[in-house]
Amino acid sequence: MMARFLPILAVAAALVLPLATSNTYFHHLLVLWMLYSLLALSLNIIVGYIGELSFGHAAFFGIGAYTAAILGMNFGFPGFPGLLMAGIVAGAFGFVIGYVALRIEGPQFVILTLGFGSIIFTTTNYWVDLTRGPMGISNIAPLGVGAGFELSSALDYYYLSLLLVVAFAYACHALMLSRTGRAFIAVRENAQLAASLGVDVFRTKLLAFVVATAVAGVAGAIFAHYLTVITPEVMSLNYMVAILIMVIVGGRGTIAGPILGALIYVGLLELLRATGALRMVIFAALLTVSVIFLPGGLVSLWRRFADRSTVRTARQAQVEAGE
Amino acid sequence: MTILSVNTLTKKFGGLTAVSDVDFEVQPGEILGIIGPNGAGKTTLFNMLAGSMQPTSGTVHLKGQNITGMRADRIARLGVARTFQITSLFPALSAHDNVRAATYRTKKTGWMASIFRTATYRAEEADVDRDAMAALHFCDLAGHADDNAESLSYGDQRRLEIAIALAAKPALLLLDEPAAGMNPEEGQRLVNMIRKIRDNGTSVLLVEHHMRVVMGVCDRVVVLDHGEKIAEGTPAAVVDNPDVIRVYLGREAVSA
Repeated sequence: MMARFLPILAVAAALVLPLATSNTYFHHLLVLWMLYSLLALSLNIIVGYIGELSFGHAAFFGIGAYTAAILGMNFGFPGFPGLLMAGIVAGAFGFVIGYVALRIEGPQFVILTLGFGSIIFTTTNYWVDLTRGPMGISNIAPLGVGAGFELSSALDYYYLSLLLVVAFAYACHALMLSRTGRAFIAVRENAQLAASLGVDVFRTKLLAFVVATAVAGVAGAIFAHYLTVITPEVMSLNYMVAILIMVIVGGRGTIAGPILGALIYVGLLELLRATGALRMVIFAALLTVSVIFLPGGLVSLWRRFADRSTVRTARQAQVEAGE
Repeated sequence: MTILSVNTLTKKFGGLTAVSDVDFEVQPGEILGIIGPNGAGKTTLFNMLAGSMQPTSGTVHLKGQNITGMRADRIARLGVARTFQITSLFPALSAHDNVRAATYRTKKTGWMASIFRTATYRAEEADVDRDAMAALHFCDLAGHADDNAESLSYGDQRRLEIAIALAAKPALLLLDEPAAGMNPEEGQRLVNMIRKIRDNGTSVLLVEHHMRVVMGVCDRVVVLDHGEKIAEGTPAAVVDNPDVIRVYLGREAVSA
């Protein structure tokens, strides 16, 4: 019963959260949280729903960011249609890479995605004519419709990305209640059995991969417009691993999990800022501990707790009925 | 119309011929058994029919349509469901969700329809639930609807496999050693279930080791030995065939 209202409460809380303070740095962290949530939710489609581990996801975030930046810089392409283009370009890359890589499963697939991610990262670094290389692209115009309406403050970007997170989270929820979603889960749980029931395993995985990469591209484009500067660093191994940490530590295959994972990542990054490079070690330890002791991620703690309380109330009800 | 028609089907692995020039047909409403000693080529034949193995030569027709060498999922979409020799389920899902996933073939609405909660979507989802519960009922598993598949007993898991296959509403059901590992009581329950499936209009082809099950339920039996068909006929006729007695029945199951 309560589970039905929880998402509504969460959205309401997210709406008023930034009003708690006028500290713009706090607002900045909220924007990062929302953009990483969108990114983690998109990776969750691959890792959580079809059950393949992809290391290459940061590359698609980067492709989206660079698409928006390059379209704006070279062609004066406006912001919002640029977001759409970023999604289409990232999704097109996802289609091509998925078409090649998804024929292979398990560890080999993981290594392939790592390889593709690295190729895209390296290309971005060295194709100076297009991407300006390691310096990156700066002075990216803010999102807007002409000069009259522009997203200028962190708060604007927070609400835009919150809207997208809520919309995409709802789409994921609807997916899990649909025939398509059942096919995703069937492929994850037992691909051979899924095929024997008429599910085209390869096409199902490819659909998941394209949707995930397209959404990552949109998140990247907003990221670029928000920071007004983009460097190849967003596609580096650090980011590849960071997104996976968000999904796995938060709880793969759920909707709350990746959002919670993104919050923990952004929060810990701040708390551990003073520790410098050591924080990557801490993140690695966190991932290891989570995989070993909490394979369902942090959200599974809540489920365990909720299960225990329903068992207890059922038992109480029995006791009361008995007396 | 003939449901399944197999003509000179052959599978070679290098120099070894696992299945050699096998012909047979499955008629509507028929239960056909395929038997033979270990290594006779039963599983290879089964895999070629289900699309998980490519034949070297020969043809397979489903209701007149050539399905030779088609991928497993395409054959499934044409109305063939199968079970696996080694229990194959969606272990982490509830029995109900296992069967719900199996309604994939007969439904159409996708992700977009569920996002916008269209009327077609809602009607179809109600059908999915109803079909799934009907399949569970049919296999005496309604009481286990909410249990995880992996927590079910072995016999229940084997029946859940059949429930999954039935939820796909097949015209032809392929069973790969469904009685493997079952005790006589479970075997008898299975026999009754297979009869009921046939009575509901689904043709059944089963590959089986258990003679009691084969003899008890099949209308006709095809006997394989070393990849070749050595006999075909009613269970009673096959039991009396001297070739069959020599290669297979002589050893264990004449008493069945």
